[in-house]
Amino acid sequence: MPGRSDGMIAHLVAGTKRLLGLHRPGRSLVILPDDVFLVSFPKSGNTWTRFLLANLVHPEQAATFANIHRLIPDPSVTTKREFDRIGRPRIIKSHECFDPRYPRVIYILRDPRDVVLSQYHYHRKLKRLADDSPLEKFVARFLAGETCPHGSWGENVTTWLTSRHNDPRFLLLRYEDMVADPRRELTRVAVFLNMTPDAQRISQAVERSAADQMRKLEKAQSDQSSLTKDSRKDLSFVRAAKSGGWSSELPDSLVEQLEAKWGHIMTFLGYELATSKALSIEPEMVSFMPDKPR
Amino acid sequence: MIGQLKYIVKYALGRDRAGRHFTIFPDDTFLVSYPKSGNTWCRFLLANLLHPNETVGFANINELLPAPGISSKRFLKKLPRPRILKSHEPFDVRFRKVIYLVRDPRDVAVSEYHFDLKKHYIDPSVTLEQYVKRFVAGETASYGSWWEHVASWVATRQGSSSFLLVRYEDLLANSIEETGRIAKFLGIQARPESLQAAVDRSSANRMRKLEQQQSEQWSGTKNTRKEIPFVRAAKSGGWKESLSPQSVEEIESAWYPLLNLLGYELQNRALDSTATPGWVRRQPVS
Repeated sequence: MPGRSDGMIAHLVAGTKRLLGLHRPGRSLVILPDDVFLVSFPKSGNTWTRFLLANLVHPEQAATFANIHRLIPDPSVTTKREFDRIGRPRIIKSHECFDPRYPRVIYILRDPRDVVLSQYHYHRKLKRLADDSPLEKFVARFLAGETCPHGSWGENVTTWLTSRHNDPRFLLLRYEDMVADPRRELTRVAVFLNMTPDAQRISQAVERSAADQMRKLEKAQSDQSSLTKDSRKDLSFVRAAKSGGWSSELPDSLVEQLEAKWGHIMTFLGYELATSKALSIEPEMVSFMPDKPR
Repeated sequence: MIGQLKYIVKYALGRDRAGRHFTIFPDDTFLVSYPKSGNTWCRFLLANLLHPNETVGFANINELLPAPGISSKRFLKKLPRPRILKSHEPFDVRFRKVIYLVRDPRDVAVSEYHFDLKKHYIDPSVTLEQYVKRFVAGETASYGSWWEHVASWVATRQGSSSFLLVRYEDLLANSIEETGRIAKFLGIQARPESLQAAVDRSSANRMRKLEQQQSEQWSGTKNTRKEIPFVRAAKSGGWKESLSPQSVEEIESAWYPLLNLLGYELQNRALDSTATPGWVRRQPVS
Protein backbone atom coordinates (compact mmCIF):
# COMPACT_ATOMS: atom_id res chain seq x y z
CA MET A 1 0.00 0.00 0.00
CA PRO A 2 2.14 2.88 -1.25
CA GLY A 3 -0.50 5.45 -0.29
CA ARG A 4 -0.35 4.43 3.31
CA SER A 5 3.46 4.51 3.60
CA ASP A 6 3.52 7.94 1.91
CA GLY A 7 1.12 9.13 4.55
CA MET A 8 3.32 7.55 7.19
CA ILE A 9 6.42 9.37 5.88
CA ALA A 10 4.56 12.66 5.79
CA HIS A 11 3.51 12.03 9.38
CA LEU A 12 7.09 11.20 10.42
CA VAL A 13 8.38 14.37 8.77
CA ALA A 14 5.68 16.36 10.54
CA GLY A 15 6.58 14.57 13.78
CA THR A 16 10.28 15.38 13.45
CA LYS A 17 9.51 19.02 12.70
CA ARG A 18 7.40 19.01 15.83
CA LEU A 19 10.27 17.58 17.87
CA LEU A 20 12.58 20.35 16.63
CA GLY A 21 9.98 23.06 17.20
CA LEU A 22 9.89 23.98 13.51
CA HIS A 23 6.17 23.38 13.15
CA ARG A 24 3.53 26.07 13.29
CA PRO A 25 1.47 25.51 16.39
CA GLY A 26 -1.87 26.70 14.97
CA ARG A 27 -4.62 25.84 17.43
CA SER A 28 -2.28 23.62 19.48
CA LEU A 29 -0.47 26.72 20.72
CA VAL A 30 -0.17 26.61 24.49
CA ILE A 31 -2.05 29.70 25.65
CA LEU A 32 -0.67 31.58 28.66
CA PRO A 33 -2.85 33.43 31.18
CA ASP A 34 -1.34 36.83 30.30
CA ASP A 35 -1.74 36.47 26.52
CA VAL A 36 -3.67 39.10 24.60
CA PHE A 37 -5.22 38.11 21.27
CA LEU A 38 -5.72 40.52 18.39
CA VAL A 39 -8.71 39.00 16.62
CA SER A 40 -10.71 39.94 13.54
CA PHE A 41 -12.40 38.50 10.52
CA PRO A 42 -9.84 38.59 7.66
CA LYS A 43 -9.43 41.91 5.78
CA SER A 44 -10.69 44.01 8.67
CA GLY A 45 -7.50 45.95 9.36
CA ASN A 46 -5.71 43.27 11.36
CA THR A 47 -2.30 43.85 9.74
CA TRP A 48 -2.50 47.61 10.21
CA THR A 49 -3.44 47.11 13.86
CA ARG A 50 -0.59 44.63 14.25
CA PHE A 51 1.80 47.30 12.98
CA LEU A 52 0.27 49.89 15.33
CA LEU A 53 0.60 47.57 18.31
CA ALA A 54 4.10 46.38 17.42
CA ASN A 55 5.24 49.99 17.01
CA LEU A 56 3.58 50.95 20.29
CA VAL A 57 4.92 48.07 22.37
CA HIS A 58 8.38 47.81 20.73
CA PRO A 59 9.42 51.43 19.97
CA GLU A 60 13.06 50.31 19.80
CA GLN A 61 12.53 48.75 16.36
CA ALA A 62 10.10 49.78 13.64
CA ALA A 63 7.67 47.06 12.60
CA THR A 64 8.14 45.71 9.08
CA PHE A 65 6.63 42.97 6.95
CA ALA A 66 9.79 40.97 7.66
CA ASN A 67 9.63 41.10 11.48
CA ILE A 68 5.92 41.45 12.23
CA HIS A 69 5.40 37.69 12.67
CA ARG A 70 7.89 37.75 15.54
CA LEU A 71 6.63 40.99 17.14
CA ILE A 72 2.92 40.09 17.01
CA PRO A 73 3.09 36.35 16.24
CA ASP A 74 0.55 34.42 14.21
CA PRO A 75 0.11 30.76 15.31
CA SER A 76 -0.43 29.70 11.70
CA VAL A 77 2.80 31.35 10.49
CA THR A 78 5.22 31.77 13.41
CA THR A 79 7.04 28.56 14.36
CA LYS A 80 6.89 27.01 17.81
CA ARG A 81 10.59 27.75 18.28
CA GLU A 82 10.04 31.44 17.52
CA PHE A 83 7.06 31.48 19.88
CA ASP A 84 9.30 30.17 22.69
CA ARG A 85 11.56 33.23 22.32
CA ILE A 86 8.83 35.84 22.49
CA GLY A 87 8.72 37.94 25.64
CA ARG A 88 5.61 38.05 27.82
CA PRO A 89 2.96 39.27 27.85
CA ARG A 90 2.50 38.19 24.25
CA ILE A 91 0.13 39.82 21.76
CA ILE A 92 -1.00 37.18 19.28
CA LYS A 93 -2.80 37.63 15.98
CA SER A 94 -5.83 35.47 15.17
CA HIS A 95 -8.77 35.23 12.78
CA GLU A 96 -10.53 32.49 14.76
CA CYS A 97 -14.17 32.56 15.79
CA PHE A 98 -14.86 32.56 19.54
CA ASP A 99 -12.29 30.54 21.47
CA PRO A 100 -12.93 30.32 25.23
CA ARG A 101 -9.22 29.82 25.91
CA TYR A 102 -8.27 33.35 24.83
CA PRO A 103 -7.83 35.23 28.12
CA ARG A 104 -8.01 38.79 26.73
CA VAL A 105 -9.15 39.89 23.31
CA ILE A 106 -8.91 43.01 21.16
CA TYR A 107 -11.51 42.51 18.44
CA ILE A 108 -11.44 44.58 15.27
CA LEU A 109 -14.67 45.07 13.45
CA ARG A 110 -15.09 46.44 9.91
CA ASP A 111 -18.08 47.23 7.71
CA PRO A 112 -18.74 43.98 5.79
CA ARG A 113 -19.47 45.97 2.63
CA ASP A 114 -15.82 47.10 2.67
CA VAL A 115 -14.52 43.74 3.91
CA VAL A 116 -15.97 41.89 0.93
CA LEU A 117 -14.29 44.26 -1.55
CA SER A 118 -10.98 44.03 0.27
CA GLN A 119 -11.12 40.25 0.32
CA TYR A 120 -12.07 40.14 -3.35
CA HIS A 121 -8.98 42.21 -4.26
CA TYR A 122 -6.74 40.19 -1.94
CA HIS A 123 -7.88 36.89 -3.44
CA ARG A 124 -7.07 38.24 -6.90
CA LYS A 125 -3.65 39.23 -5.63
CA LEU A 126 -3.14 35.73 -4.21
CA LYS A 127 -4.24 34.28 -7.58
CA ARG A 128 -7.14 32.49 -5.91
CA LEU A 129 -9.45 34.41 -8.22
CA ALA A 130 -9.06 35.16 -11.91
CA ASP A 131 -8.96 38.83 -12.85
CA ASP A 132 -12.31 38.69 -14.58
CA SER A 133 -14.00 36.65 -11.85
CA PRO A 134 -17.38 38.31 -11.26
CA LEU A 135 -17.84 40.17 -8.00
CA GLU A 136 -21.43 38.84 -7.78
CA LYS A 137 -20.15 35.29 -7.48
CA PHE A 138 -17.66 36.27 -4.83
CA VAL A 139 -20.29 38.07 -2.77
CA ALA A 140 -22.50 34.97 -2.88
CA ARG A 141 -19.63 32.86 -1.51
CA PHE A 142 -18.79 35.56 1.03
CA LEU A 143 -22.36 35.52 2.34
CA ALA A 144 -22.22 31.73 2.66
CA GLY A 145 -18.93 31.91 4.59
CA GLU A 146 -17.08 30.03 1.87
CA THR A 147 -14.28 32.50 1.12
CA CYS A 148 -12.17 31.72 4.20
CA PRO A 149 -11.93 29.08 6.93
CA HIS A 150 -12.98 31.45 9.73
CA GLY A 151 -16.74 31.37 9.31
CA SER A 152 -18.83 33.99 7.60
CA TRP A 153 -18.40 37.64 8.60
CA GLY A 154 -21.65 37.37 10.55
CA GLU A 155 -20.59 34.18 12.35
CA ASN A 156 -17.17 35.49 13.30
CA VAL A 157 -18.54 38.75 14.67
CA THR A 158 -21.54 37.17 16.38
CA THR A 159 -19.58 34.48 18.23
CA TRP A 160 -17.30 37.09 19.81
CA LEU A 161 -19.87 39.76 20.55
CA THR A 162 -22.43 37.46 22.10
CA SER A 163 -19.88 35.78 24.32
CA ARG A 164 -17.56 38.62 25.36
CA HIS A 165 -19.03 42.05 24.62
CA ASN A 166 -19.11 44.30 27.71
CA ASP A 167 -16.67 41.98 29.42
CA PRO A 168 -13.61 43.72 30.91
CA ARG A 169 -11.44 41.14 29.13
CA PHE A 170 -12.70 42.35 25.73
CA LEU A 171 -11.92 45.51 23.76
CA LEU A 172 -13.95 46.28 20.65
CA LEU A 173 -12.33 48.42 17.94
CA ARG A 174 -14.00 49.56 14.75
CA TYR A 175 -11.72 49.92 11.73
CA GLU A 176 -13.66 53.03 10.72
CA ASP A 177 -12.97 54.71 14.08
CA MET A 178 -9.30 53.84 13.74
CA VAL A 179 -9.11 55.42 10.29
CA ALA A 180 -10.91 58.53 11.59
CA ASP A 181 -8.75 59.00 14.68
CA PRO A 182 -5.92 56.47 15.04
CA ARG A 183 -4.36 58.26 18.04
CA ARG A 184 -7.55 58.14 20.06
CA GLU A 185 -8.15 54.47 19.29
CA LEU A 186 -4.54 53.44 19.94
CA THR A 187 -4.77 55.23 23.28
CA ARG A 188 -7.74 53.01 24.15
CA VAL A 189 -5.64 49.98 23.23
CA ALA A 190 -2.75 51.19 25.39
CA VAL A 191 -5.08 51.56 28.38
CA PHE A 192 -6.46 48.07 27.75
CA LEU A 193 -2.88 46.75 27.72
CA ASN A 194 -2.25 48.49 31.08
CA MET A 195 0.32 50.80 29.47
CA THR A 196 0.67 54.47 30.30
CA PRO A 197 -0.71 56.10 27.17
CA ASP A 198 2.25 58.34 26.33
CA ALA A 199 1.16 60.78 23.57
CA GLN A 200 4.54 60.92 21.88
CA ARG A 201 4.93 57.18 21.78
CA ILE A 202 1.43 56.80 20.37
CA SER A 203 2.09 59.41 17.67
CA GLN A 204 5.29 57.67 16.69
CA ALA A 205 3.48 54.33 16.41
CA VAL A 206 0.76 55.90 14.24
CA GLU A 207 3.34 57.53 11.95
CA ARG A 208 5.40 54.39 11.62
CA SER A 209 2.25 52.46 10.67
CA ALA A 210 0.83 55.02 8.21
CA ALA A 211 -0.50 53.62 4.92
CA ASP A 212 2.26 55.36 2.90
CA GLN A 213 4.92 53.92 5.16
CA MET A 214 3.40 50.43 4.95
CA ARG A 215 3.22 50.70 1.15
CA LYS A 216 6.95 51.46 1.04
CA LEU A 217 7.73 48.50 3.30
CA GLU A 218 5.49 46.25 1.22
CA LYS A 219 7.39 47.14 -1.97
CA ALA A 220 10.73 46.39 -0.36
CA GLN A 221 9.75 43.25 1.56
CA SER A 222 6.92 41.67 -0.33
CA ASP A 223 8.67 38.30 -0.59
CA GLN A 224 9.66 38.21 3.08
CA SER A 225 6.09 38.08 4.33
CA SER A 226 3.68 35.15 4.27
CA LEU A 227 0.93 37.69 3.57
CA THR A 228 2.30 38.62 0.16
CA LYS A 229 4.82 35.94 -0.80
CA ASP A 230 4.33 34.54 -4.32
CA SER A 231 1.38 36.84 -4.93
CA ARG A 232 0.80 39.13 -7.91
CA LYS A 233 3.06 42.15 -7.70
CA ASP A 234 0.81 44.35 -9.84
CA LEU A 235 -1.80 44.39 -7.06
CA SER A 236 -0.86 45.76 -3.65
CA PHE A 237 -1.60 44.33 -0.20
CA VAL A 238 -1.92 47.78 1.37
CA ARG A 239 -4.72 49.07 -0.80
CA ALA A 240 -6.96 52.08 -0.23
CA ALA A 241 -6.64 52.01 3.59
CA LYS A 242 -9.88 53.92 3.93
CA SER A 243 -13.49 53.28 4.85
CA GLY A 244 -16.68 53.55 2.82
CA GLY A 245 -15.18 52.53 -0.53
CA TRP A 246 -18.16 50.23 -1.01
CA SER A 247 -20.52 53.13 -1.71
CA SER A 248 -18.83 53.75 -5.07
CA GLU A 249 -17.45 50.27 -5.82
CA LEU A 250 -20.15 47.85 -4.72
CA PRO A 251 -23.26 47.63 -6.95
CA ASP A 252 -26.56 48.38 -5.18
CA SER A 253 -27.88 44.87 -5.71
CA LEU A 254 -24.89 43.43 -3.81
CA VAL A 255 -25.19 46.01 -1.03
CA GLU A 256 -28.78 44.90 -0.71
CA GLN A 257 -27.80 41.24 -0.40
CA LEU A 258 -25.28 41.94 2.35
CA GLU A 259 -27.73 44.14 4.25
CA ALA A 260 -30.52 41.61 3.86
CA LYS A 261 -28.43 38.97 5.57
CA TRP A 262 -26.60 41.02 8.18
CA GLY A 263 -28.55 44.27 8.41
CA HIS A 264 -29.65 43.57 11.97
CA ILE A 265 -26.05 43.06 13.13
CA MET A 266 -24.78 46.03 11.14
CA THR A 267 -27.42 48.35 12.60
CA PHE A 268 -26.55 47.12 16.06
CA LEU A 269 -22.87 47.86 15.38
CA GLY A 270 -23.58 51.38 14.15
CA TYR A 271 -23.22 50.87 10.40
CA GLU A 272 -25.90 52.82 8.59
CA LEU A 273 -27.84 50.80 6.07
CA ALA A 274 -28.20 52.02 2.49
CA THR A 275 -31.18 49.92 1.50
CA SER A 276 -34.53 49.86 3.18
CA LYS A 277 -35.16 46.22 2.36
CA ALA A 278 -32.64 45.06 4.86
CA LEU A 279 -34.82 44.16 7.80
CA SER A 280 -37.80 42.89 5.90
CA ILE A 281 -36.03 39.61 5.22
CA GLU A 282 -35.84 37.03 7.99
CA PRO A 283 -32.33 37.06 9.43
CA GLU A 284 -30.73 33.68 9.92
CA MET A 285 -29.36 34.61 13.29
CA VAL A 286 -30.73 35.53 16.59
CA SER A 287 -28.98 38.75 17.45
CA PHE A 288 -27.92 39.72 20.91
CA MET A 289 -28.01 43.13 22.49
CA PRO A 290 -24.86 44.75 23.86
CA ASP A 291 -26.04 45.41 27.38
CA LYS A 292 -25.60 41.85 28.45
CA PRO A 293 -25.09 41.86 32.18
CA ARG A 294 -22.07 40.10 33.58
CA MET B 1 11.83 14.44 25.48
CA ILE B 2 10.78 10.81 25.87
CA GLY B 3 7.20 11.93 26.29
CA GLN B 4 7.56 13.96 23.10
CA LEU B 5 9.05 11.00 21.20
CA LYS B 6 6.23 8.77 22.38
CA TYR B 7 3.77 11.36 21.13
CA ILE B 8 5.49 11.52 17.74
CA VAL B 9 5.31 7.77 17.29
CA LYS B 10 1.63 7.84 18.26
CA TYR B 11 1.12 10.79 15.93
CA ALA B 12 2.85 9.00 13.02
CA LEU B 13 0.63 5.96 13.56
CA GLY B 14 -2.51 8.07 13.87
CA ARG B 15 -3.11 6.78 17.38
CA ASP B 16 -3.07 10.14 19.14
CA ARG B 17 -6.37 11.49 20.44
CA ALA B 18 -8.04 13.51 17.73
CA GLY B 19 -9.30 16.41 19.87
CA ARG B 20 -10.00 19.26 17.49
CA HIS B 21 -7.42 18.12 14.97
CA PHE B 22 -9.05 15.60 12.68
CA THR B 23 -10.61 15.59 9.24
CA ILE B 24 -14.24 16.64 9.25
CA PHE B 25 -16.45 15.47 6.39
CA PRO B 26 -19.34 17.49 4.94
CA ASP B 27 -21.81 14.73 5.85
CA ASP B 28 -20.80 14.54 9.53
CA THR B 29 -23.38 15.31 12.20
CA PHE B 30 -22.24 16.53 15.59
CA LEU B 31 -24.10 15.95 18.83
CA VAL B 32 -22.97 19.05 20.71
CA SER B 33 -23.66 20.28 24.23
CA TYR B 34 -22.10 21.98 27.19
CA PRO B 35 -20.86 19.27 29.60
CA LYS B 36 -23.47 17.72 31.94
CA SER B 37 -26.38 18.57 29.68
CA GLY B 38 -27.56 15.04 28.87
CA ASN B 39 -25.07 14.28 26.11
CA THR B 40 -24.31 10.72 27.29
CA TRP B 41 -28.00 9.89 27.58
CA CYS B 42 -28.59 11.25 24.10
CA ARG B 43 -25.67 9.18 22.81
CA PHE B 44 -27.32 6.07 24.28
CA LEU B 45 -30.67 6.99 22.70
CA LEU B 46 -29.12 7.42 19.27
CA ALA B 47 -26.83 4.41 19.53
CA ASN B 48 -29.79 2.23 20.54
CA LEU B 49 -31.85 3.61 17.68
CA LEU B 50 -29.10 3.12 15.11
CA HIS B 51 -27.86 -0.25 16.37
CA PRO B 52 -30.96 -2.14 17.53
CA ASN B 53 -29.06 -5.45 17.46
CA GLU B 54 -26.20 -4.33 19.69
CA THR B 55 -26.24 -4.16 23.46
CA VAL B 56 -25.37 -0.52 23.94
CA GLY B 57 -23.42 0.14 27.12
CA PHE B 58 -20.65 2.25 28.60
CA ALA B 59 -18.13 -0.34 27.38
CA ASN B 60 -18.93 0.27 23.71
CA ILE B 61 -20.51 3.75 23.54
CA ASN B 62 -17.19 5.33 22.49
CA GLU B 63 -17.24 3.04 19.46
CA LEU B 64 -20.94 3.32 18.62
CA LEU B 65 -21.15 7.09 18.97
CA PRO B 66 -17.55 8.27 19.14
CA ALA B 67 -16.10 11.37 20.77
CA PRO B 68 -13.11 13.00 19.01
CA GLY B 69 -11.85 14.05 22.45
CA ILE B 70 -11.35 10.37 23.30
CA SER B 71 -10.91 8.47 20.02
CA SER B 72 -7.82 8.44 17.82
CA LYS B 73 -7.63 10.07 14.41
CA ARG B 74 -7.11 6.67 12.85
CA PHE B 75 -10.26 5.25 14.44
CA LEU B 76 -12.32 8.25 13.36
CA LYS B 77 -11.04 8.01 9.80
CA LYS B 78 -12.15 4.39 9.50
CA LEU B 79 -15.71 4.96 10.69
CA PRO B 80 -18.45 4.35 8.15
CA ARG B 81 -20.04 7.54 6.83
CA PRO B 82 -22.12 9.50 7.51
CA ARG B 83 -20.64 9.74 11.00
CA ILE B 84 -22.35 11.02 14.14
CA LEU B 85 -19.81 12.40 16.61
CA LYS B 86 -20.15 13.68 20.15
CA SER B 87 -18.64 17.04 21.04
CA HIS B 88 -18.49 19.62 23.83
CA GLU B 89 -16.87 22.30 21.66
CA PRO B 90 -18.21 25.84 21.60
CA PHE B 91 -18.91 27.19 18.09
CA ASP B 92 -16.80 25.44 15.49
CA VAL B 93 -17.37 26.65 11.96
CA ARG B 94 -16.35 23.26 10.53
CA PHE B 95 -19.37 21.53 12.11
CA ARG B 96 -21.95 21.88 9.37
CA LYS B 97 -24.76 19.74 10.79
CA VAL B 98 -25.38 20.06 14.51
CA ILE B 99 -27.80 18.64 17.08
CA TYR B 100 -27.41 21.06 19.99
CA LEU B 101 -28.55 19.82 23.37
CA VAL B 102 -29.17 22.53 25.94
CA ARG B 103 -30.06 22.18 29.63
CA ASP B 104 -31.15 24.57 32.36
CA PRO B 105 -27.82 25.92 33.70
CA ARG B 106 -29.12 25.74 37.28
CA ASP B 107 -29.32 21.95 36.87
CA VAL B 108 -26.08 21.85 34.90
CA ALA B 109 -24.25 23.53 37.80
CA VAL B 110 -25.48 20.91 40.31
CA SER B 111 -24.69 18.04 37.95
CA GLU B 112 -21.20 19.32 37.14
CA TYR B 113 -20.47 19.81 40.85
CA HIS B 114 -21.22 16.13 41.57
CA PHE B 115 -19.32 15.02 38.48
CA ASP B 116 -16.24 17.05 39.43
CA LEU B 117 -16.34 15.53 42.93
CA LYS B 118 -16.61 12.07 41.37
CA LYS B 119 -13.68 12.77 39.04
CA HIS B 120 -11.48 14.17 41.84
CA TYR B 121 -11.42 17.47 39.88
CA ILE B 122 -12.37 19.40 43.01
CA ASP B 123 -11.58 18.91 46.66
CA PRO B 124 -14.44 17.38 48.70
CA SER B 125 -14.35 20.47 50.92
CA VAL B 126 -15.55 22.75 48.07
CA THR B 127 -19.17 23.73 48.72
CA LEU B 128 -21.80 23.93 46.00
CA GLU B 129 -22.14 27.64 46.69
CA GLN B 130 -18.41 28.20 46.09
CA TYR B 131 -18.63 26.03 43.01
CA VAL B 132 -21.48 28.03 41.46
CA LYS B 133 -19.39 31.22 41.57
CA ARG B 134 -16.69 29.49 39.54
CA PHE B 135 -19.33 27.98 37.25
CA VAL B 136 -20.77 31.41 36.43
CA ALA B 137 -17.25 32.74 35.76
CA GLY B 138 -16.70 29.88 33.28
CA GLU B 139 -13.85 28.42 35.32
CA THR B 140 -15.21 24.90 35.83
CA ALA B 141 -14.90 23.61 32.25
CA SER B 142 -12.45 24.13 29.42
CA TYR B 143 -15.24 24.81 26.94
CA GLY B 144 -16.09 28.34 28.11
CA SER B 145 -18.96 29.32 30.38
CA TRP B 146 -22.47 27.96 29.82
CA TRP B 147 -23.44 31.37 28.44
CA GLU B 148 -20.50 31.55 26.03
CA HIS B 149 -21.16 28.02 24.81
CA VAL B 150 -24.89 28.31 24.23
CA ALA B 151 -24.69 31.84 22.80
CA SER B 152 -21.91 30.93 20.37
CA TRP B 153 -24.06 28.18 18.85
CA VAL B 154 -27.56 29.58 19.13
CA ALA B 155 -26.67 33.09 17.93
CA THR B 156 -24.97 31.79 14.82
CA ARG B 157 -27.05 28.81 13.82
CA GLN B 158 -30.57 28.98 15.28
CA GLY B 159 -33.06 29.03 12.43
CA SER B 160 -30.77 27.19 10.03
CA SER B 161 -32.03 23.91 8.58
CA SER B 162 -28.77 22.18 9.55
CA PHE B 163 -29.14 23.03 13.25
CA LEU B 164 -31.47 21.25 15.65
CA LEU B 165 -31.93 22.67 19.12
CA VAL B 166 -33.09 20.11 21.71
CA ARG B 167 -33.81 20.95 25.33
CA TYR B 168 -32.84 18.26 27.82
CA GLU B 169 -36.08 19.00 29.68
CA ASP B 170 -38.15 18.25 26.57
CA LEU B 171 -36.17 15.10 25.87
CA LEU B 172 -37.00 14.01 29.41
CA ALA B 173 -40.70 14.92 29.28
CA ASN B 174 -41.41 13.67 25.73
CA SER B 175 -38.62 11.20 25.10
CA ILE B 176 -40.23 9.43 22.16
CA GLU B 177 -41.33 12.56 20.30
CA GLU B 178 -38.01 14.32 20.80
CA THR B 179 -35.99 11.25 19.79
CA GLY B 180 -38.22 11.07 16.73
CA ARG B 181 -37.44 14.70 15.93
CA ILE B 182 -33.71 13.95 16.14
CA ALA B 183 -34.12 10.86 13.97
CA LYS B 184 -35.95 12.91 11.36
CA PHE B 185 -33.17 15.50 11.42
CA LEU B 186 -30.70 12.67 10.79
CA GLY B 187 -32.81 11.46 7.89
CA ILE B 188 -33.74 8.22 9.67
CA GLN B 189 -37.19 6.74 9.19
CA ALA B 190 -37.93 5.42 12.67
CA ARG B 191 -41.13 3.58 13.49
CA PRO B 192 -42.79 4.38 16.83
CA GLU B 193 -41.86 0.96 18.20
CA SER B 194 -38.16 1.47 17.36
CA LEU B 195 -38.25 4.84 19.12
CA GLN B 196 -39.95 3.25 22.11
CA ALA B 197 -37.31 0.49 22.22
CA ALA B 198 -34.44 3.00 22.05
CA VAL B 199 -35.98 5.02 24.89
CA ASP B 200 -36.53 1.90 27.04
CA ARG B 201 -33.01 0.64 26.46
CA SER B 202 -31.60 4.04 27.46
CA SER B 203 -33.68 4.46 30.62
CA ALA B 204 -31.96 5.83 33.71
CA ASN B 205 -32.45 2.53 35.54
CA ARG B 206 -30.89 0.52 32.79
CA MET B 207 -28.01 2.98 32.46
CA ARG B 208 -27.43 2.78 36.23
CA LYS B 209 -27.16 -1.00 36.01
CA LEU B 210 -24.76 -0.78 33.08
CA GLU B 211 -22.70 1.79 34.94
CA GLN B 212 -22.32 -0.58 37.90
CA GLN B 213 -21.05 -3.36 35.64
CA GLN B 214 -18.90 -1.34 33.25
CA SER B 215 -17.66 1.76 35.04
CA GLU B 216 -13.99 0.73 34.65
CA GLN B 217 -14.47 0.13 30.93
CA TRP B 218 -15.45 3.70 30.04
CA SER B 219 -13.34 6.85 29.80
CA GLY B 220 -16.00 8.91 31.61
CA THR B 221 -16.04 6.84 34.80
CA LYS B 222 -12.67 5.07 34.93
CA ASN B 223 -10.70 5.73 38.13
CA THR B 224 -13.44 7.88 39.63
CA ARG B 225 -15.08 7.81 43.06
CA LYS B 226 -17.46 4.86 42.99
CA GLU B 227 -19.74 6.11 45.79
CA ILE B 228 -20.84 8.99 43.53
CA PRO B 229 -22.77 7.68 40.50
CA PHE B 230 -22.35 9.02 36.96
CA VAL B 231 -26.03 8.46 36.18
CA ARG B 232 -27.47 10.56 38.97
CA ALA B 233 -31.02 11.84 39.32
CA ALA B 234 -31.74 12.01 35.55
CA LYS B 235 -34.45 14.59 36.10
CA SER B 236 -35.00 18.30 35.69
CA GLY B 237 -35.54 21.00 38.29
CA GLY B 238 -33.41 19.34 40.97
CA TRP B 239 -31.70 22.70 41.49
CA LYS B 240 -34.75 23.93 43.40
CA GLU B 241 -33.80 21.63 46.28
CA SER B 242 -30.04 21.84 46.11
CA LEU B 243 -29.07 25.41 45.12
CA SER B 244 -29.08 28.18 47.70
CA PRO B 245 -31.18 31.27 46.87
CA GLN B 246 -27.95 33.18 46.46
CA SER B 247 -26.58 30.72 43.88
CA VAL B 248 -29.86 30.84 41.96
CA GLU B 249 -29.66 34.63 41.94
CA GLU B 250 -26.06 34.56 40.70
CA ILE B 251 -26.91 32.34 37.75
CA GLU B 252 -30.12 34.14 36.85
CA SER B 253 -28.75 37.66 37.02
CA ALA B 254 -25.75 36.68 34.90
CA TRP B 255 -27.65 34.83 32.21
CA TYR B 256 -31.34 35.77 32.30
CA PRO B 257 -31.58 36.85 28.65
CA LEU B 258 -30.62 33.39 27.43
CA LEU B 259 -32.72 31.69 30.12
CA ASN B 260 -35.71 33.68 28.90
CA LEU B 261 -34.94 32.93 25.28
CA LEU B 262 -34.76 29.21 25.99
CA GLY B 263 -37.95 29.21 28.03
CA TYR B 264 -36.46 28.49 31.46
CA GLU B 265 -38.64 30.08 34.10
CA LEU B 266 -36.84 32.44 36.44
CA GLN B 267 -37.12 32.47 40.21
CA ASN B 268 -36.46 36.20 40.17
CA ARG B 269 -39.50 37.42 38.24
CA ALA B 270 -38.12 40.96 38.03
CA LEU B 271 -35.59 39.79 35.44
CA ASP B 272 -38.30 38.10 33.46
CA SER B 273 -40.11 41.00 31.90
CA THR B 274 -37.24 43.41 31.40
CA ALA B 275 -35.02 41.02 29.56
CA THR B 276 -36.52 39.63 26.43
CA PRO B 277 -37.80 42.62 24.47
CA GLY B 278 -35.04 44.10 22.38
CA TRP B 279 -32.74 41.37 23.40
CA VAL B 280 -33.76 38.86 20.88
CA ARG B 281 -34.80 40.06 17.48
CA ARG B 282 -37.05 37.18 16.59
CA GLN B 283 -37.32 33.44 16.48
CA PRO B 284 -38.04 32.56 20.09
CA VAL B 285 -36.75 29.08 20.63
CA SER B 286 -39.66 27.29 22.21
